[in-house]
Amino acid sequence: MSVLSAVLLGLAMGVVFGFLLEKSRVFEPAVILGQLQLRNFLMLKIFLSGVAAGLVVIGALVATGLSGLHPKAAIWSADIVGGLILGAGIALTGACPGTTLAQIGAGYKDAWFTLAGGLLGALAFTYLEPTLRPVLLEGGAGKLTLDKVLGVPFPWLAFGFAVLLVIGLVALERWRPWREEVGVNADGLLPPLETATGATSSAAPSRA
Amino acid sequence: MPALTDRAWSPYLGGALLGLLQIPAFLLIGTALGASSSFVTVSATLAAWVDPAIQQIDYAAKHLSGAKNWWQVALVLGIALGAFLSSRLSGARRAGIAPVWERALGTKSPATRFLLAFLGGFLMLAGARIADGCTSGHGLSGMAQLAVGSFVAIAATFAGGIAVAHLLRRV
Repeated sequence: MSVLSAVLLGLAMGVVFGFLLEKSRVFEPAVILGQLQLRNFLMLKIFLSGVAAGLVVIGALVATGLSGLHPKAAIWSADIVGGLILGAGIALTGACPGTTLAQIGAGYKDAWFTLAGGLLGALAFTYLEPTLRPVLLEGGAGKLTLDKVLGVPFPWLAFGFAVLLVIGLVALERWRPWREEVGVNADGLLPPLETATGATSSAAPSRA
Repeated sequence: MPALTDRAWSPYLGGALLGLLQIPAFLLIGTALGASSSFVTVSATLAAWVDPAIQQIDYAAKHLSGAKNWWQVALVLGIALGAFLSSRLSGARRAGIAPVWERALGTKSPATRFLLAFLGGFLMLAGARIADGCTSGHGLSGMAQLAVGSFVAIAATFAGGIAVAHLLRRV
């Protein structure tokens, strides 16, 4: 595929991606921070639904021979150290790399600073990569997937895992109905804890 | 029925439709959804204007050209456009700083928020590039391919995120 057609396709897919990030509210800083403070579980619902659907479609693509897998190599030190730093950044920005752009599109001003910091962070890594490579970015198990570990065909394991996720999501919805987590302004901001856990703890907090 | 003018869709519907985006990514581009490597493509392209020597770094060179790299840059730009359109259609446009930050930081100061966003953005992309993926590449895509390293990376991401989020005030 030429670069131009790849770019046009990317733009079209990105518009859908951004539309869905906005409609599902997962781009909201209060949703992401609320999830990490274990107060609001919208992010987990969206994330695991996306993984479940992905498992089904990728399982189908593999089963029909239309496509192979494109997994990333498992490099334990890089995955753990990088993941911890990435998580710290997500907590401080209230965003992920992708949702940063959704925040900009929706109008949040601070997301421009997240973007600038992100570009600089990616650039700093690029300059440091040759130094970090022998220390942090090598070794590990290669492009290892769970079906290889368990010796089960990928599609079956993928469909089975998707079923487990759906069961988990049904339980999550019973525990925390999503409509109660969207918030009055659809930004995932829930009533302050003093109100929510005050004298009328079991009743829905009233709004002035 | 969910409408384009709704402010919020069910997270299950939104999430599942996000997962379906893997189909064109796998079939037409030959890769899985991801977002964070586009930050390398863009920043290294900009840096090459002032420091052409950056092209000598293999990692930069690998990200500077090619359909897949610029596909992802376009994808990420499209995200901004899609979120803009969605928020326009529903009337949920945002302005300034989300109110959650006053609760989390205990201050309304934009300077504090901007500084923290910049620092957080730096960490976010540095971490994502060390781990070779973010919530999209390791999360949505890696977990949907049952990649062992992605499970480890996402567990670490949540661990780091939960720990640091608890250093802020409760929202």
